[in-house]
Amino acid sequence: MIRFLLTRIALLVVGLAVASILIFFTLRVLPGDVAQVIGGTQASPAQVAAIRTELGLDRPIWQQYGDWIGGLVRLDLGRSLITHTPVADELGQKLQVTLPLAGLSLLFGLVIGVPLGVVSALRHRKVSGFLLSGAAQAVAAVPVVFAGVLLIVVFALTLKALPTQGFPLDGWREPGRALQALILPALTIALVEGAVILRFTRSAALEALGQDYVRTAASKGMTTTRALITHGLPNVLLSVVSVIGIQIAGLIVGAVIVEALFQLPGVGRMLVSDVGNRDFTKVQSELLVLTALILVVGTAVDITHRLIDPRERERA
Amino acid sequence: MRPTKYLVAGLAAATALALAACSGGGQSATTGGSSSGKANPNATLNVGLVLEPTDLNVRTTSGVALDQVLIDNVYQGLVGLDPSGKIVDVLAKSHTVSTDGLDYTFDLKSGVTFSDGTELTAQDVAWSINQVKSNPKYVGNLQLADVSSITATDDDTVDIKLSKPNAELLYNLAGRAGLVLEQGATNDLATSAIGTGPYKLTSWKQGDSITFERNSSYWGPKAKVAKVVWHYYTQQSAAVNAAVSGDLQVVTPVDPTLKSKLDNQNGFTLTTGASTDKYVLAFNSKKAPLNDIRVRKAIREAIDPKAVIAANGGAGVPLGGPIPKSDPGYEDLTSIDSYNPDDAKKLLKEAGKDKLTLTLTLPNIYGTATSDVLVSELGKVGITLKVNSVEFTTWLNQVFTNKNYDLSLVDHSEAHDFSSWATPGYYFNYDNPKVDELYAQALASTKPGEESQKLAQAAKLVSEDAPADWLYNWTPITAIKSGVKGFPTDGANSRINLADLEVTE
Repeated sequence: MIRFLLTRIALLVVGLAVASILIFFTLRVLPGDVAQVIGGTQASPAQVAAIRTELGLDRPIWQQYGDWIGGLVRLDLGRSLITHTPVADELGQKLQVTLPLAGLSLLFGLVIGVPLGVVSALRHRKVSGFLLSGAAQAVAAVPVVFAGVLLIVVFALTLKALPTQGFPLDGWREPGRALQALILPALTIALVEGAVILRFTRSAALEALGQDYVRTAASKGMTTTRALITHGLPNVLLSVVSVIGIQIAGLIVGAVIVEALFQLPGVGRMLVSDVGNRDFTKVQSELLVLTALILVVGTAVDITHRLIDPRERERA
Repeated sequence: MRPTKYLVAGLAAATALALAACSGGGQSATTGGSSSGKANPNATLNVGLVLEPTDLNVRTTSGVALDQVLIDNVYQGLVGLDPSGKIVDVLAKSHTVSTDGLDYTFDLKSGVTFSDGTELTAQDVAWSINQVKSNPKYVGNLQLADVSSITATDDDTVDIKLSKPNAELLYNLAGRAGLVLEQGATNDLATSAIGTGPYKLTSWKQGDSITFERNSSYWGPKAKVAKVVWHYYTQQSAAVNAAVSGDLQVVTPVDPTLKSKLDNQNGFTLTTGASTDKYVLAFNSKKAPLNDIRVRKAIREAIDPKAVIAANGGAGVPLGGPIPKSDPGYEDLTSIDSYNPDDAKKLLKEAGKDKLTLTLTLPNIYGTATSDVLVSELGKVGITLKVNSVEFTTWLNQVFTNKNYDLSLVDHSEAHDFSSWATPGYYFNYDNPKVDELYAQALASTKPGEESQKLAQAAKLVSEDAPADWLYNWTPITAIKSGVKGFPTDGANSRINLADLEVTE
């Protein structure tokens, strides 16, 4: 077990190091730099050059990379090239929107996906089950943007039940309004994510239905449903857990799109505008933190998987 | 603070409901607007805008996004602009200009304080302008090139001396170059602002909103609303939705394709305002085949400005040259190279270029309405136009800095920006010594009317050389909810002066 943990952690560190190189150098391929953005269309080339020197953008690229990594090792994410404020401050603020959004989406996705998945597996020979899995196929293919617009039209503009967009100025100090503001965006992501979870749950449940232990339980007088729930469900949940590990990246990407659609001041909108402004010291740290989040969750899921699966535990 | 906020929100919701109920009855929406409601001093105005500033530093960060909200409301200068664009005294009680145009004297108003309570001195004024003058990285630095000294001659007088006359000096002092900051302040200009204006900036949520509150120690007539929140929308439809659902009382600019959702509905009125935004289709005059004036003229003649304006929801007026109506030197130049596709074909044939392929590089923020029209109009005269829609920053790099383009389309929003046509190194790649000379004479003029006359001559020369097609002058639409008064609609995309704003119940 210890050896397993150490390997996972080593992989995590190597993953982060590779990610830092990829992030840093691919960003530099983009044309244009922040000095041009600050100078705008009225600045002379000399002014732009002066800004560039002041920001240290004319130094060798490996030196800039070294500075960044040096800071990261000291847990310093650096400062914005434009506002000169610490990246960690703003990122912390934006994560207060994005993390609850991702969490809520996952929760909604599970609430929609797992029970419906089980139901659609139990009825896989019936019309209702067929329709359910067909609908899930279709919904999983729906672009997030479309789902969002649909929800806005139905819930916000027609029923006037929920805000169309925005987040309270006071943030979580107004918890009721903040939560309300996240419901539609989270549902938007959850519709699509939930459909994916539904399909995974369905196939895991179908597999469990075919297992000897479920059939034995059923032959001993249990209903198929009962047998699946008491004996098959742990196995089904196991595969749901591993799907979450994979879907966490999807959740964050979904959040980027949904934040633009619903005008939520989260990480996604910040990233889009920072890339546009070529505020690279900010973008690279933001991306690395997101990568770290995804890798850490992935590792955590891996470890959990091993802890809750007795077969895996024994092998270790 | 919070109970009032709920009260205001509640009242706003109640008004919205009342209006929604009224609008069923046809005419009654206007009745709601002209109700005898009193100005509500506790009101909060929520404004939806599009272009968010990257940071708040008026010294180092260029662009109209900062001017739009901060100038006039938070920061002020010795002089400012009235709604018609004329120079008026703001922090100055009066000003005089010597007959040779080399000496400007400003008497300061007394009792002016900054929003942190510190009293304004002539020292602050001289220091502020000197900062811009001496730091080449500061926005407005080039505009003060002819200034030789700025001194506080006593406690309430500032004297500005020039090495040669500059007819644009007062205009420039009414903008970035002349903003007065507090010498002793230690706040971070990138994230906060201390000025002498009627509002103080209380919070900036990057990527979301800027909040102003009434500066209760303001030296002039106090603001008539308690709070103004500027909300930034990356998607126009989101701003319109927010207005429909009652979260915004003003949206500017309104996307013309979405205006039907707000026009005379939900208590909103749409107003078309003037602007100095010029949509400039620049031709790289130094690059073949555009170095041939016949090709450039042919492109201009092939494009029907009416079609371009129609594609943009009608929110524009034709513009035949580099100077818009509200700037000095304007004259109607739309007859130069006016729409004539047959003549365009003839010119191209003469030039031996009847089968051409050109690339248009434009920032993707402008959408495809204009470029679609250009592709079809130019296609009719045998020019294949390839559209290369890029991020604005990429445009800055490829076109603005490296001048690597055939055709470029950008909205030049700055007022009084004729100088770009008299700066040969600018990305237009346009160079006509006669224009440079006329522009220099315009700047050096001291007699009234002389500047406009010289600029008009220069603008005509530029238009005749066809280094660009000035597609149209934008007339942005502002949606204002009934009960909101004094929100400016002319020039709202470059400066929104909220001195007269009031909200009635």
